[in-house]
Amino acid sequence: MSTEEIISSGKLELYVTGSLPANEAAEIAEAVRKDPVLQKEVDAIETSLIQLAGSVSPGVASTIWSKILNSIRPVRTLEERDTKSVNWAAISGWAAAVLAVGGIFWLFNTNKDLLDEIKLTTTENSDLREQLTETETRLAGSEEILNILRSKDYETILLPGNRDVAPEAFAKVYFDKTNKVAYIDSRGLPEATTTMVYQAWSLKLDPLTPTSMGLLDQANEVEEGIYKFENVPDPDAFGITLEPAGGSESPTLTQLYTLGTVSP
Amino acid sequence: MEQPDQLIHAMKAGDEAAFSKLYGMYSEALFGIIYGIVGDREVAEEALQDAFVKIWNNSASYSPGKGRFFTWILNIARNTAIDKTRSKAFKNSRKNLSSTNFVDILASSDNLNKKTNAIGIKKYVDALKPACIKIIELLFFKGFTQADAAKELDIPLGTLKTRNRNCINELRAIVLG
Repeated sequence: MSTEEIISSGKLELYVTGSLPANEAAEIAEAVRKDPVLQKEVDAIETSLIQLAGSVSPGVASTIWSKILNSIRPVRTLEERDTKSVNWAAISGWAAAVLAVGGIFWLFNTNKDLLDEIKLTTTENSDLREQLTETETRLAGSEEILNILRSKDYETILLPGNRDVAPEAFAKVYFDKTNKVAYIDSRGLPEATTTMVYQAWSLKLDPLTPTSMGLLDQANEVEEGIYKFENVPDPDAFGITLEPAGGSESPTLTQLYTLGTVSP
Repeated sequence: MEQPDQLIHAMKAGDEAAFSKLYGMYSEALFGIIYGIVGDREVAEEALQDAFVKIWNNSASYSPGKGRFFTWILNIARNTAIDKTRSKAFKNSRKNLSSTNFVDILASSDNLNKKTNAIGIKKYVDALKPACIKIIELLFFKGFTQADAAKELDIPLGTLKTRNRNCINELRAIVLG
């Protein structure tokens, strides 16, 4: 068929609208491919039909294209996976940063706790050291007393309870005649009330002359219940009376709790 | 308008920008075809979307040696639209509507306000013989084969070809001056 024959056959119009049988469509396609005149003819037919169809369109909404893009993009997974792997690196980077900051904060807190513990331990240590010092002091005191009691310089005098006032009571005096030092152990005496105090006396028996040694109070206490007195005159006997707080000039004999004589 | 073979080639290679340009060139015409078949804007938009996704996904199967690119996408658009009309939901919603052709659609004033081109085409369409309207409706909008259209119109195939050519020639005179 010549170019003119093809054009006038009406096959080109049917070719564009896709109405020809497959074999005829292939023939026309081949003829058009070779012939620029047929190409122009087909272009014109197609353009007019596109215009006609477009005029029937109620107008394509601008949102359609983005919907199409959304539909076709998930198909191209390779590229997206690439970008996703980059994102993972970024995400893990941020995660590491967050962990590091968290770790630093945790270390800071732990360090603070440890410092607090050290402070507390230091305080406890100094408390214990004080207790140790106190205990050592007391031990030294006890040892001193023990040495005194064991020493040959000290004479032990038992002061039994006065039958009329306190028959169960007793006291012990450790007396160094040479150095005029006396220790009194008050364990056998009943506890004095807060308003009263025990007072120790050295006695000359002929004539009866009491001399105050001092009070069994904190000022003279060297160990619990043991009192130290110095400058004790050479007595015939020792006595302990219960006197009003502050002590008395002369012993209240009705309140004489214990009395013991020094062996000659 | 010459077929944009370079753009088509680029799209086949996965070039989204080329696909976007082709969409710009052909979407209005395909929407007109689809709308002519389904007669419902929402359904037509869905079908247009589906059609272009198919064009993108199947672009490898088109080759310029086999025929026109427009013919290829026209077939996809018509088939997608016809599939929509076959869905149960579509049938239920369209049950009571009388069938329309492209002339009825073109006659609605909505379209004329949007496109100046459509006004000229409307003048042409108004002057069209009912025979032309029927032929173009069947062959172009509905996608009938030449044999089916001749049978539908009860005319010899030769007459169909000549008449169709004459009708399209008139259209060309208006559109292309």
